[in-house]
Order: sequence, then structure tokens, then C-alpha cells
Amino acid sequence: MSGVNLRTMGHLVVQYRLLAMLAAIAIFGGFTLDDFLTANTLRSILDRAAVVGFLALALTPLLIAGQIDLSIGSIMSMSAFTTIAMQPFAGSLPAAFIGLCVGIAAGLVNAAIVVVLKVNSLVATLATLLIYASLVLLVSNSQPVSSTDPMFGLPLTSTMLGIFTPRSMLFIGAALVMFVWLKATPSGRTLYAVGSNLSAAVSAGVNANAYIGGAFVLSGLLAGAAGVLQALSSATGSPLAGSVLLIPAITAVVIGGTRLEGGRGSSLATLGGVVAFGALTTLSEYNGVPSYTQAVYTGLILILLITLDKVASGGEGKTTRARRGARTTPTIKARNP
Amino acid sequence: MTSRTSLFLAAAVSAAALAVAGPSLGAGVEGKSICYITAANSHPYVTPANEGAQAAADAAGVKLTIVSEEFSPQTGADQLDSCVSRNVDGILLWPLDANSYLPGLLKAKQAGIPVVAIDTRAGEESMKLIQSFVGADKFAQGEVSAKQLGEALGGAGDIVILAGQAGNNTTIERTEGFLKDKAEGVNVLATVNADFDQQKALVASRDLLTKYGEQIKGVYAEDDAMAAGFLQALKESGLSFKPVVIGIGGMKVAFDAINAGDMYSTIMQPPFENGRLAIETLAKAMAGETVDPVVPLPNIIVTKENIGSYEPAF
Repeated sequence: MSGVNLRTMGHLVVQYRLLAMLAAIAIFGGFTLDDFLTANTLRSILDRAAVVGFLALALTPLLIAGQIDLSIGSIMSMSAFTTIAMQPFAGSLPAAFIGLCVGIAAGLVNAAIVVVLKVNSLVATLATLLIYASLVLLVSNSQPVSSTDPMFGLPLTSTMLGIFTPRSMLFIGAALVMFVWLKATPSGRTLYAVGSNLSAAVSAGVNANAYIGGAFVLSGLLAGAAGVLQALSSATGSPLAGSVLLIPAITAVVIGGTRLEGGRGSSLATLGGVVAFGALTTLSEYNGVPSYTQAVYTGLILILLITLDKVASGGEGKTTRARRGARTTPTIKARNP
Repeated sequence: MTSRTSLFLAAAVSAAALAVAGPSLGAGVEGKSICYITAANSHPYVTPANEGAQAAADAAGVKLTIVSEEFSPQTGADQLDSCVSRNVDGILLWPLDANSYLPGLLKAKQAGIPVVAIDTRAGEESMKLIQSFVGADKFAQGEVSAKQLGEALGGAGDIVILAGQAGNNTTIERTEGFLKDKAEGVNVLATVNADFDQQKALVASRDLLTKYGEQIKGVYAEDDAMAAGFLQALKESGLSFKPVVIGIGGMKVAFDAINAGDMYSTIMQPPFENGRLAIETLAKAMAGETVDPVVPLPNIIVTKENIGSYEPAF
């Protein structure tokens, strides 16, 4: 079981790196601003993390399974628009449920294209990104709809227990549930196997298509949840709600330590990544750093973190995956002589 | 709608009066902090407005923190929440849609932080929580544009509309105002969203020129940058006809085009002035003075006849 121990240690390192980043932000913020280290700032950071956080959670199982979903932003837009547009016909709560269903349906379409038609997920979801984004613009005539019941979603962003809001608690709760699923259940662990070596997993009798398809549906559901949350808390169903959030979501996931190559990652790391990214953004804004400069910092931090990741996992010139591949179970060794 | 026109006239007069009175800032705001949630860091209209706000803040001795929404109301709503959390003394907000800012505005109200909106109006519910709106009357700009284009075309002809971002209030008001006062004989062939962007307008205009060609007798560009995009496409196309092109903003490109006879008119909307007025209004609200719910910029039409008396707005 030394492989498992090494893996857990690797994750610990990733998490400490995030803590170090958060500590650096806290120290720097504390020195440069009088009003940074307050419960209110923390509440605001967590609250801001909620929507992009659900998108990042949507990506996490897919990336672990070695796939990607570029359409999450567009799915979010569809769900956000539906949630508000359906309010006059269905009532506020059922409309939110319909919004979630739109997300699931979009995820099913993605799953079908990738699993049944065997299209590479990058290409498949690039196509659905365009289709979903255009679809919602067509249906909405590119106009956002304003809620007829603007007060309904406002409690989502009200303060709870000092540093939380209902929507940030939903996000943190979802991340914890996903963590337990991925780490402590057989199906969660199988997902890692599918992502790290697909053919080995298949020859070991895993129905990889079901796992990959399921991850796409889950991704649709979570992107839909992001849309519903955004729509309700802003009382606006914008057909562009998610159009700018794909890149921040990917960035947050990668900062967290989940790798695009598959087979590695954790939803707690994603939680940490989203919060660290949010804290960095808030710190920059408090200091009046222009948005373009912020983007340069973010890029530099990404490169730094990924380099650190290689050093932390002891690989010199080798990716963590290649190293881990050399250490994993005999089945896989037999497949890669 | 005469009430709107008279409001606009009254507004113009009060703005002029304000300009004469000069910067009379509310006393006792020195050392206070303002959070300015702006539409963008780098944009032909927004950047000078930001500079105007900064200049007014410096003059008043107020600490101004500028954060940029990058044209995303979601980002702006989050930033508004952060600004309230920081417990600043005043907030200047550039609203990009009707409702997205409601949660933050409610929190600002609870915290007793005055909010002033710059350039664009938010939705009705949101405006109830905003002390004052400082900016041009976009609906009136649409009406004025309809009149200009109607006159130039002799009351009839096919036209195209180059609109701004979909869902943006400025786009909505400039389009609705235009359609309301559009002459009976003026027929809209197509409305395209070119996002207030010259490059996007260029691409869209190429398509429009291919599709409709000389059928296009008039062009209503909802800002001068898009008018410039159309003129560029027209030049590229090699077509020899000359449609009536009107814009909004008073940009330098529009002044050049009007002087060259390529463009018919534009409406002045000075951004630096807008930013300065907004901060001054907010400072008054912070000092506890009552402020007008609307502090408008005058809409001045610039054509070949009067262009000599004006400088480009930006």
C-alpha cells in the first residue's frame, strides 16, 4: 500500500501549498490594508467563490477521469436563463428545479457525444460550448430576463454564522460530499483508475463508458447548479451568465492541484484552489491592482505552482503521472512492459 | 414623449448650472474612502471617465479604489459585495444590467453606505437603492438620433442599426429611444450587436454590405467606434454610394469623419466630465447633503455646421 501512502502525501503537499498561498495573501493583505483581515472579508471571499466553485467542482471528477468539459460556462448560462424565464410559469422553486434539469440534459448530450459517438471530449465539448451558448442567446433573443420575484433569491447571499452565506455553505458542502465520494467509495476510486489508465481499467472489467458518461452528467448538474445559484442571487437570468467563467474555473481547479492529464485530483484541493484564487482576486482589488495586471499574476502563480508540484512529487524531468505509473499495481505494469 | 424632452432640457440647464458653480464638494469628506466599480480598465469611453473620477477624488482628498468588472455584471456584483464588506464610505457603481447588483445594494443600504450610479441606469428595484444617477440620458440620445437620421434621409429609407452589447441598458435605451421616434418611412433592415467595438462593427458591416449593398441608405451606430467600423468596411468594399452614418459619443474618429463628410452627426458625451460629476455627487451624498436623483450630462448634437465650436469628447 506504499503507493496509496505516497499519493496521500502528495495530496497533503498540495494542500499545504494552498495553505501557504492563503497565509501569504493574509500576511500581505494584513500589512498593506488595515481592513483586510476581518471576518467580513472572509465571508465575501467565500461568497464570491460559490458560483465559480460549482463550475470548478463540475470539472473535478471529469479531469480525474481524464476528460474535460469546456461547455460548463454555456450550460451555466442556459440554466441561469431557464431558472428566471420559467419563474412566471412554474413558480420560483420549481423553476430552479427546471434549471437544474436543463444542466443534467446538457450533460447527457455531452456524455452521448463522447461515449457513444466516441468524439474526443475536448472537441465534443468545444462544439457543445458553441451550441449551448448560441442556443440560449437565440431563445432569449440575447436579452437577460429580470426576475418577477427579485427578493426570492436574496437570502442566498445573506450572512450566516459570521463568515458564511447560504450559497457558500452549499458550495463547501458539495465539495465535502464529493471528497467523501471520490476517496471513500469504490465508485469514486474507480474513477481515478479510469483516468490514470483507461485500457488497464477496461481490462480489469470496469465499465469505463458508464463512469465517463456519469461524470459528464454530474458536470452538467453542477454547472446547472452554478447557473441556478447565480440567477437566483442576482435575480437575473442572463444568457451570458457563464460565458466568462470557464477560464476562472479551470484556473481554480489547476491551482488546487488537479491535473489536466487525468488520474489525479481532489475536490478539497479544488475547494482550496477556488478560495485561494478568490482571496488573491479580492486582495488585488482591495489594493486597486488593474485587472490586466491581476491576470499576469495569476498566470505566473499557475506556472510556479505546477513547477512546485513537480518538485514536491520528486520527479526530475518526469511528470508525476509517469512516476506514479511506475509505482502502481502489477496489472498496469503488465500492460506497460 | 415631451416630458422626457423637457426633463432632458431641465437636466441640461441644471448640468450647465452645476458646471458654472464649479466643483463645490461636500465638506468633511477628506480622508474618506470610495470604492469605484467601473465597467473596464481599458476602453475608449470608460478610461477617461475613470480618469475624471480619479481627478475629482484627488481634488477632494478622498481615497479612491478602482476595481474593474471587465463588462461582466456577475463580477461587478461580487465586487460590490466586497466593497460593502470593506465598509468604505461611499460606492460609485457602473451598473451593467438591471438586477445583478441587488444583493450588494441592499447590503450597502443596511450598512448606510451611499451608492451613486455612473453612466448606465440599473433596474427599477436597484435604482431605489441608489442615491443618484450621473450620466447621459441614453433614451433621449436614441430619440435625438432618430430625428437626425430622419431629417437627413428626408423621412424615408432603409437603414441598419449597429447596436451595443445585448442586454446592456445603454443598448436597450438607445435602441428603444430610436425606434420610438423613428420616422414612419424609415425601415430597419437589420439590427446587429457589435458590442461597442470597432473591430466587431467592421466584421458585421462587411456582412451587411454584402447582403444589402446600396439598399442601405442610413446607418444608426449606437456609438462612434462602431460608426468608424462601418465606414472602414464601406471603404474596403469599394462601393461608391454614401449612406447617412450617425453615431453617439463625440469621439475623435467621428469628428474626423464628420469633417471629411463621411459621417453626418454624433452626440457629445464627455466621459471625463461624467466621472468627475459622479464623484462630486457621491461626495455630497457622503457629506449628508441631499442630491438629485438624476444628474444628467447634456446631449449636444455635433454636425458639420457646428463642429468648429467643439473639441472631441474623447
